[in-house]
Amino acid sequence: MVKEARYLYSVARTGHDAMLGSIGIEKNNVYIITYKDIAAIVHACDAKPYKTEDKKLAEGWVLEHSYVIDQATKMFGTVLPFSFDVIIKGNDDAVKDWLCRDYENLAGELIRVRGTAEYSIQIYCDHAYLENLVYSKNQELVDLKNSIEKGSKGKAYLLKRDLDMKLKNLTYSETGRLADRFCTEIKPLVKELKVSGRTSWTPEKYKEKKLLATYSCLVSDEAVKKLGEVLEEINCKEGFFVRFTGPWAPFSFVRLQETG
Amino acid sequence: MNPERESCLVEVLDRLLNKGAVLNADLIISVAGIPLIGVTLKAMIAGMETMLEYGIMEDWDKSSRELYASQETHIPLFPGEQVLYKAFGYLREDEGLIKCWVPGIWNITSQRIILWIKTPGKVLFETPLENLRVLRVPASHEVRKELELIYPEGRTRISLSERDEFEEALAGAAEATNAMKRSEICESGQLPYQI
Repeated sequence: MVKEARYLYSVARTGHDAMLGSIGIEKNNVYIITYKDIAAIVHACDAKPYKTEDKKLAEGWVLEHSYVIDQATKMFGTVLPFSFDVIIKGNDDAVKDWLCRDYENLAGELIRVRGTAEYSIQIYCDHAYLENLVYSKNQELVDLKNSIEKGSKGKAYLLKRDLDMKLKNLTYSETGRLADRFCTEIKPLVKELKVSGRTSWTPEKYKEKKLLATYSCLVSDEAVKKLGEVLEEINCKEGFFVRFTGPWAPFSFVRLQETG
Repeated sequence: MNPERESCLVEVLDRLLNKGAVLNADLIISVAGIPLIGVTLKAMIAGMETMLEYGIMEDWDKSSRELYASQETHIPLFPGEQVLYKAFGYLREDEGLIKCWVPGIWNITSQRIILWIKTPGKVLFETPLENLRVLRVPASHEVRKELELIYPEGRTRISLSERDEFEEALAGAAEATNAMKRSEICESGQLPYQI
């Protein structure tokens, strides 16, 4: 039976047809459909989304999707990575038609990300170090702490609540200030930067630390070394720890605008 | 330092499900004019909390937060009055036909003790800390931890699961009030609270 849809992994810069082999989701044969100098990396599938009740199976699909993007990057340079389960209804001609209609947009994006990759930076801080830093900048907190030690039980209870709240707020502002400072150091070295206060996962060795910031950066290949040096300097500062991962396909930086 | 290609499953899922060139199918349809199916497995792989955290259900979350925020009201306080402690608890309602325990948030401020209900924003009970006496009373039910408030206009029973903490906070608040108004209170010989 002819498969009437195409599962889309990524769009790459190449004008030559190629086969990537049976590396797709559920060992599907991955190939490319070209238009001028750009190509969609796809496998033929039924016109229905990948759906399952089996979480392990679903996770396997996502990892297979990720693997295809990595292989395509090795073959064609930086690609435009697509989100999981994006399926174009129709045959190869329909995909080609889409590439043709959206050529300007896709080719423009490919040029923008050429010679770059996405890197992820997480900066952690030691809790005790951060607390000391906050205390050293706020005499009011030191005074409050002293009066708790001297005060009666009832009064100390309320003062402790007050202290905890003030400490929490000041720590929050301090982490913001530190995150801004590191951001200022990193920004000149990257093409684009996105700041996030969270991370989807924390490795065991950072579990007891405070996450100051997560940065997703689009970095030129030649700037990676310098960025690594700046991060090393931060990592060497007392109380700070840097996690630097990549290169990844530019998942956080691909923009496809609506052209109506 | 050199970047590492270290990534765990959660991070791969985060990238593949929440990022990438197509975040929603509608976008690509309007770009390309080609019917595109973009149903994701996000709902299955990620739990509700994760979805909120990662912004998958951000619009919903934002609207529900706004709704809650619009309903939120604040206790009317006197100038200079501060809320020092809050705890969930009950007030015994003995008047009227139905005798019951009314739930709310007990607030100890620098001047008063207040039972507040957030929605629709109403003070159910209030009395100044001055001239208030608080007694521990045997509970009418084994799961309740009760106190009796005695004030010039009468007396009432309250119940809080965090009774010990409440008493401690009340003692602290009374002490603070006492400290502020020590001269008047000492002269009149009244203690603002007594447990």
